[in-house]
Amino acid sequence: MFYLSLIEHTLRLPPHLLHLPLDEAIKMELETLFLDKVIAKLGLCISVYDIRSIKGGFIFPGDGASTYTVEFRMIVFRPFVGEIIVAKLKESDANGLHLSLGFFDDIYIPVHLLPSPSRFESYPNNRNQGRWIWDFGEAEEAQSEEPRFVIDGTDLIKFRVHSVIYPSIPLEQPEDSKPFAPMVITGSIDYDGLGPVSWWEEAEMVQDES
Amino acid sequence: MKIKEANAGALTNFEVLDFLRSRGASKDPTRVIVPIAPSEFKVYDYLVESATCNQTKEHINEFLERCKKYKLAKAEVLNIINLRPSALVEIDPIIEQSEKRFGDQLEELVNLVVEVLPEPPTQKTAEEDSNKDKEETTDEKNMDGNETETANNEQIDEHETEQTEDGEQMEVS
Repeated sequence: MFYLSLIEHTLRLPPHLLHLPLDEAIKMELETLFLDKVIAKLGLCISVYDIRSIKGGFIFPGDGASTYTVEFRMIVFRPFVGEIIVAKLKESDANGLHLSLGFFDDIYIPVHLLPSPSRFESYPNNRNQGRWIWDFGEAEEAQSEEPRFVIDGTDLIKFRVHSVIYPSIPLEQPEDSKPFAPMVITGSIDYDGLGPVSWWEEAEMVQDES
Repeated sequence: MKIKEANAGALTNFEVLDFLRSRGASKDPTRVIVPIAPSEFKVYDYLVESATCNQTKEHINEFLERCKKYKLAKAEVLNIINLRPSALVEIDPIIEQSEKRFGDQLEELVNLVVEVLPEPPTQKTAEEDSNKDKEETTDEKNMDGNETETANNEQIDEHETEQTEDGEQMEVS
């Protein structure tokens, strides 16, 4: 889920930071530049882990700031394909599920990666929103009113990373389109042990009883 | 900007949490004083609710040492440490071709995880609650008719008391 990445960057240190110790000032500037931003093919920058080296300190003509070349390690969030992650449900619509980790929100589980057979049940007041139901053991469910395997956001959801993509920045965006996401994770819950945590807690209890 | 090494080492959730704690992150209301970015706190909030919240270096080193015999892939070990699977159904999606590779050893591996890696508090409370429920149901079954009657009477008495403004219990006749 998290990796260390070694990065070299040439940065301009503004004069108002020069009263601070050099490494502290540079760290502050690096955090301003990188934190909570996605670097394509690298991932979401979480934190500056350490600074390996600081070189330079040149002041270019006509500039009041000194320029340094810094080599540092950054903690990045970059899940690998096949990794299992626990997330919360953010939104559920006819296209699938939208999950969130709190610090990263662009996680989608499309319909074809939901457990099959699944069906979507839209809310009466909002046709676009609803809940997904896994129709497992339909004979038992026919007797009870409420379906057993519902994805409704009360539980944490375990999913497997299916793909991580870094879309290129669009030149133009339609007004009604979603905000641009620089990193999108596609997940799958179509496997035993994946999906809402409570589904499998029930299974464990049944197993223990038998 | 030049990426010199994209993968300079994978980190477990525990290591990231430990790093954030070392910088002063906590659930304390004084978090506003700590020189940590809001985005870092979001990561901290996620990790502190995860299975790694009460792991230590000793736990992880012991697990790494004891799981060597299973010849797990690095990614699988990382996933196990991050998730702490405590049942077969939880470990199954983590390990590729688990039945083929391990067979009966899989249960042994789950037991090792449960034994070595500490149980997160959230899981503990959930299990305690379920145990309490079980105990209550068995107690109810074992009760005699008279006992249930007295229990009901006690409940009625409780409902018939009201509180005065001073907070004292006042009996309503």
